[in-house]
This record gives sequence, C-alpha cells and structure tokens, in this order.
Amino acid sequence: MKDFTLIILFFFAGLCTVFGQQRTVEGKVLNEKSKPMHNANVFIKGSIDGASSDSLGHFSFTTDQAGELTLCVRMMGYAEYIILLMPGKLTNIVVKMHPDNITLDNVVVTAGNFRLKGNGQFGKMSAVDIVTTAGSTGDLYHSLRTLPGAQMVGESGKLYVRGGDSREAQTYIDEMHVLSPYTTTSENVPVRGRYSPFMFEGINFSTGASASEYAQGLSSVLALNTKDASPITKIGFNPSSVGLGGGGTQAFDKGSASVSLNYQNMGPYYSLIPDRLHWVNPYQLFSGSSQLRFNPDPSTVFKTFIGYDRTTFVQQLTALDNPSNVRNLNMKDDNFYLNSTFQKSTGSGYKIFAGAAFSFHNQHIDDALVAADTYRNKEWEVHLKTKVSKRFTDFLRLNVGLENFFRHNNTAYNYTTTAYTDSINHTISAAFATAILNLSSNLHAELSDRLEYTSINHQWNQNPRLALTYNLNGINFSGIVGRYTQLADNKYLLLDRNLLAETCMQYVGGMYYEKKDKIYRIESYYKQYDKLALQEPTVLNSTGYGYSKGVDLFFNDKALFKNLEYMLAYSFCLSKRKYEEYTELSVPQYATTHNATVSLKYNVPALKSIIGITNRFASGRPYHDPAKVGIMNSTTGCYNSVDMSLTYLASKKVIIYASATNLLNRQNVYNYNYTADTAQPGGYHKTPVIDSAPHFFYLGVFITLSGKAAYDVSNF
Amino acid sequence: MKTMKNYVWVLLLALPLLATAQDLTPVAQTLNKAKQVPEFMQVRSKLERFGMAKPDEWLANYYLAYVDVQLSFQLPSKDEKAQYLREAEEYLNKLPELKGVELSEVYTLKGLRLYGLIASDPQTNGPKYSGEIIANYEKALALNPNNPRAMILLALFKNNMAQFMHQANPGFEQEVDKAAAVFETENTTTANPAWGRTWIQMARNSK
Repeated sequence: MKDFTLIILFFFAGLCTVFGQQRTVEGKVLNEKSKPMHNANVFIKGSIDGASSDSLGHFSFTTDQAGELTLCVRMMGYAEYIILLMPGKLTNIVVKMHPDNITLDNVVVTAGNFRLKGNGQFGKMSAVDIVTTAGSTGDLYHSLRTLPGAQMVGESGKLYVRGGDSREAQTYIDEMHVLSPYTTTSENVPVRGRYSPFMFEGINFSTGASASEYAQGLSSVLALNTKDASPITKIGFNPSSVGLGGGGTQAFDKGSASVSLNYQNMGPYYSLIPDRLHWVNPYQLFSGSSQLRFNPDPSTVFKTFIGYDRTTFVQQLTALDNPSNVRNLNMKDDNFYLNSTFQKSTGSGYKIFAGAAFSFHNQHIDDALVAADTYRNKEWEVHLKTKVSKRFTDFLRLNVGLENFFRHNNTAYNYTTTAYTDSINHTISAAFATAILNLSSNLHAELSDRLEYTSINHQWNQNPRLALTYNLNGINFSGIVGRYTQLADNKYLLLDRNLLAETCMQYVGGMYYEKKDKIYRIESYYKQYDKLALQEPTVLNSTGYGYSKGVDLFFNDKALFKNLEYMLAYSFCLSKRKYEEYTELSVPQYATTHNATVSLKYNVPALKSIIGITNRFASGRPYHDPAKVGIMNSTTGCYNSVDMSLTYLASKKVIIYASATNLLNRQNVYNYNYTADTAQPGGYHKTPVIDSAPHFFYLGVFITLSGKAAYDVSNF
Repeated sequence: MKTMKNYVWVLLLALPLLATAQDLTPVAQTLNKAKQVPEFMQVRSKLERFGMAKPDEWLANYYLAYVDVQLSFQLPSKDEKAQYLREAEEYLNKLPELKGVELSEVYTLKGLRLYGLIASDPQTNGPKYSGEIIANYEKALALNPNNPRAMILLALFKNNMAQFMHQANPGFEQEVDKAAAVFETENTTTANPAWGRTWIQMARNSK
C-alpha cells in the first residue's frame, strides 16, 4: 500500500512534467500608430513566462502553462493590454497598445495658460525662479510682470493682464479664492503679495481663457498650490533691510506643522535711503501664518492654512491745489485668511476635492480724503467648493463641481456732519463641468460650462468654453473660445445692486514649441467686453463695453552658454473701453501698447552666486490732459528700468540675497495729476505721478538653524 | 520508504516557493551588474513579471523601484525620467506594508529616488529635495547602522554639496573606506539588496 502511494505521488510528479510541455507564444507589439514597439513586456499572466519585444516589435517565448492562457503586455506610458489565448492560437499574435491615462492626463490644453505639459518648466515656476529674477524684489506679482501678457503698471504693483483691469485678475491658493491677495500701501507705492513665494510649490499663471472652474475673473487667474507634504523639521530666520522674519516646520510621521512670523518696519530703511513721501509713522507690517498638513496615506491630503497680517502707517499729505491744506493719513489694515482643503484619490480612479476658505479684510483710515474724516471698509468672503474628477475611458475624463461664495462688504465714511454708510450681503452659487476628450493621439479637446447665479442682481449666467490642442511634430497649436463673467466692483454695487454681471468673450490662439532647453511661444487674443459698469454724469448703468487685442511672444533659452539662462518677452496690446469714469471709448490709464522684458540669469559656480539682470520696457501710458479736447488724450514718456539681483550661497545654511531696481536712475512717469491754476483762469498745474523713491534696495540673509535642511529659505 | 514519501511531498509542496526564491537571485545579480539601458530594460521586464505573479513579494517591488530609478539616470528624455520616477514612487509607497521588508533599504532607495529627481532637474529640485534626501539616508542608517548603500550615498551626497559650496569635507575618505569595508562583508549570493559597489568606485574617482 505504501508503495502504491509512492507510485501515485511519482505519477503526479510525472503528470506535472507532461502538462508542463513547452509551448511557444509568438507575435508582435505595435503602438497606437501601428509602429513596432521595443521593450514591451509580454508575458503569461500569473506566471513569470515571458519576454521583451525586440526593436521590430517581435516577441517569442516558451511556456509550460496548460490550457487557455491570459497574455498580458505592459509598457511604460501605455495602458496594460490583456487578451485570452485559445490553445492552438499562440502564434502570429498582434497586440496594439494605447497611451495610458496618466500619459493622457498630462496633455493639458495650452493656450492662455502658463502651465503646459507635466514637465514644462514654463508652467511650474518655482520660488527660486521667482526670487532669482531681477526686479522681482522677492515678490510673486512683481516677478509675474516679467512674463508676456502682464502689463507694467509700476505705481500699482498689482497684476494687469492683457489690457484688463487689476480686479479682473484673481488669485487662488489650493483652488480656493483669496479676497485680498495684495498688501495695503499708500497711494502710488507699489503693493506686494501678502504671501511669500516660498510657501508655494506650484505657481500657475493663466493670462487668458482660464478654466471654467475659476470664477469671477474676466482676465486672468493665478493658481497657487502649497506643498502637500513637508517631511523635514527645520527652523530658520531672515533679517533684511526692511525687517525680520523667522519660522519653522515640525515634521511628523504623517504630517507637519509650520509657523512663520514676519515684521517689517520701513523706518530704518527710510532713514538711510529717504523717499519723497513724508512719513509721520513709517510703514509697518506684522504678519503671522501657519500651515498644518496631514497625510494619513499617500493618496489623501488634508491641509489648513491660516494667515493674519496688520499694516499701519501715518503719512503726511499735502493737497495739490492748496499747500496749506495738510493732513495725516492714518492707516490701520487687518487681514485674515483661513483655507482648509481635502484631496483624495480613490482606488477606483476618482479624485475628490473639498475646500473651505474664509477671507476677512478690515481697513480703517483717518484723514483719508480730507483732515478729520474717517473711512472704514470691511469685507469678508466665505468660499466653499467641492469637485470630483474621473477618467472613464481613454477617450474621456470628466470633472464636475459645485461652489458657493458668501460675500459681505460694509463701508462707512464720516466727515463733520456728513455720514455715509452702506453694506451689501450676497451670494454667488455655481456648478461647473468639464469634459476632457482625447479625440486622437495628437488632438485634444476640453469642453466645459459653468452655470452661475448671483443673488445680488438675481441673475443667471452661463460660461461655456471650448479649448482645442493639436500636436504636429512636437509643435502644439491651441485655440480657446470662452465666455467669462464677473460682478461689477463693490464700489458700484454699493450704489446700485442691480448692475448686471460684466462679461468678456475671449478668443485665444497660439503655438508652443519646446526643444533642448529652448521654449518658443506665440499667442494672439481678442477680448470683447460687455455690460461693464459705466458712471455717466447722472446715472450709473451696465452699458459699458470695450475690447482688448494683441500678441504675446516668449522665448526662453538655457542652452546658449553654460550657466546662462535668458528670457525675452514681448506683448503688443490695443485696449479701449467705455466704462467706469471713462465716458467715451478710450484707452484706460493702465494700458500700454508695447511691453518688453529681457531677463538674464547667470550662475557663477566659482563665486557660488546667481546674478540676475532684467530690463523692462513699456511704451508711454495714456493720461488725461484737461487743457486738450477729448479724454485720455495724451501719452507719458516710455517706462524703462534695469534691475539687478544677486543670490550668494555663503554656506549651505546661509543664503544672501540682494537686489536693486532702476540702476540707470531713470525717472519713470506713470500719469499726471492736474489742478486748476488759481492765478490764471482756465490754466492748469500738472504734477507727475512717479515712484516714491528712484530705487528700491533689498538685502536679506536667510539662515537655516536646523541640521538637515540646506539651501532652504522656506520655513514651510 | 516513509521518509522518502515525506521528501517527495515536501518537494512537491515547496516547488513553487523554491522556484521564485531561486529565480530572483540571478535577476538581482544581473541587475547589480547592469550598466546600459537595454540591460536594465530586460531585467525590468523580468522583475515586472515576478512582481505581477507575486505582488506581495517585497524584493520584486523593491528591485522594480530600484531599476526604475536607475533608468531615470540613463534615459535622456525628461518625460521618460519623470514616468519612471513616478512609478518608482508607487512601488516605494507599497513596500512598508509588505512582509519581511527591510525598511533601512527602503529609506535608502527613497533617498536615491529623490536624487534621481534632482538629477533630472537640478535647478528646481536641488533646493527642494536636498534636505529630504539626507533625512532619508539618516533614517536608513538609524534603522541599520551597517547599511553600506545608505553610508556611501549619504557620504557622496554630502561631499557633492561641499564641493558645490567650495568647502572642505575632511571625513569623506574615511566614510568611503568604511562603506567599502562593509560591502566586502556583504553576501552577494542571495536575492537580498547588494547593489552599490559602483558608487564606491565613483566616490574614489571623484576625489
């Protein structure tokens, strides 16, 4: 009996060998264009029997698997291919592979947007790129003005894009709206971004026809993304010519907590380098921010950002028309921003996002317009947003979302017996959906719509958008047509709640080519504005209109000389509007026809330094001369500024950054203010609007105190 | 006779296990010697077949991550580099959950992958990941102070930073010798991680 068992065992062992008879599997692998694919991995699923395809796409291997076989073909960048093979049909197999979802999702429709394909450096500007660009003085918005499409409005500091007003450019942090992204300054002193560029990992600047997910921006969207994880514990501080900052991050196993504090006081700077303004109390800014990140697993991210800042200054101002009329403008400005988001990618391919943001901005000004008056403006906004995205087939990805804005604005003005107060409370509710279609391997389309209801004027708006991208031998051609809407400015809404939403139709066409560290881009656009708020002598209405058209050129080259990178940007823009106080179709005061930037960055390893030089040029600004007929009837001289920056790595723990603007000491005139000449009836005095100081010098030392972090100026 | 029967039983039952354990060793050894893209591609295909057949085998996932990082160093296209480094990250994220995993090796490879990101775009990724790389190598050494791969990679990375800063790095030679000595004692006949000797050579040449 024992022997019998043994015989059976040997029989089974033998059976394994019989069934293990070797069969040959043979065929070829082709790509979506029916070209042979090299190095595709072809194998029998569940076994290790297989081979790689050769340069002609052929594969051949033997297997001892019995019965029906599941053949699996895998290749990086392509969707897995699976086919059931019947016995006897194991040869002459033809496999056709198709690009996978990740590869498909990397194709981003390009026109109007500075975010291009996944790796395009053009799109992913980093904080280092920004700071090492001369003229940026470490500020996000100043640095964006070197890109084509952005206009040089030197006295403002805000973003003006493609002939549009600055309020048409919106800023988003982690997909959530920021109500007041700029700092508060006195008149004609350029504002800066409230948030340090070092906080952000991705900086995507859309100069036109932005995605319909982003609301209430007729011209452009700046979408900033904070880091999803900060795995290093670090602490650092940075004294600078304008103040002192410091902070750090504590990393945990599944998250991190960051804190940053910053104090700016322009008093010491002005005592060394005086400006033309008369400060009673110099500009002071205190800001504190914190971010908490929690990553329970690699596909889930919770982030919360809290920022508070307070600006104060007292400035002595003299009325242009009466030198004895002196007042002390006293500014107190508080700003708070809270933003909390949740992102998750599920195993079944859904990407889920939910976020909530709260912006609060309170401004109190004494002696605002005349001595002994008081102006107060309080604004807040709650933004709630949720969206889901999923790729259903190789052909289709869908994004859908809902969002709500709750807005409040309360303004009060008091002067002797005059008191004016008013407030508005309203909501904006919207649903948006985008279908991303891969029509063929080189033709992609994005079809989207946004349906929006604004409670203040009981209006429904629809914003459809179509974007197409076609790739021909590596050159991307793209075109977008889209409709955008935005409520009128609060100062008009406070006067008339029934003003219609302002609209803009955008048509954008462009070409983009990137090869061997060189980027070429050309884009032309036409924007048709309608229903703009118009302040006519006796009536405020929504009959304003206008247009803006032009061409943007961009060229970036890292390959000409070793360690040298240079960038050329040129924008041509013709913009005319009849809106707000412009009662005739005229060129708005902020619009310039020609804008050009040449920016060089030279890395000198021997000196451990990066030297940056930027020259910015803009043609003259239009202004209104009351002595001439018509409005906006004159033009200032050209703007030109040569700026320089130096980044020096003193050690891996110490980075020194220095920058200076307007090295040629040119006086740029942005506008003229006119006052009636009392001595000569009908005559005028004209005063130029110029920079408060001919130069701005920044010297900062970034010191890292903790052990592991190096060359890191970010506390977050 | 009974003993013989037991042997046959054991043999039959253990056959599939023996097959994988034995087969991964030559693959690992080929991988350790590979220098060119076609060699890496061949090994990667084999590893992928292993990984698909045995998704919970940590070494298959580990070597797939390793070969992807190596390919990112070798391939010229930025898009391809990014694809392989992204896939390597997926394998690395999966590893800590798997049975028998050596976490010290995982952290070393995490550091090497970040170095791959720096190599693919030094200007952007250099300042971004330098600290994290060092943190990963130090974590690897905290888990296993005798991990020669973490030793040599950390020494090399710190030395590169010192060179970049034009600073002296006096301990470098001893660190390389120390790592080399540990490599000498390492068993290279199993499937366990034993790569990294080429970095010693590179370190000695760089002096």
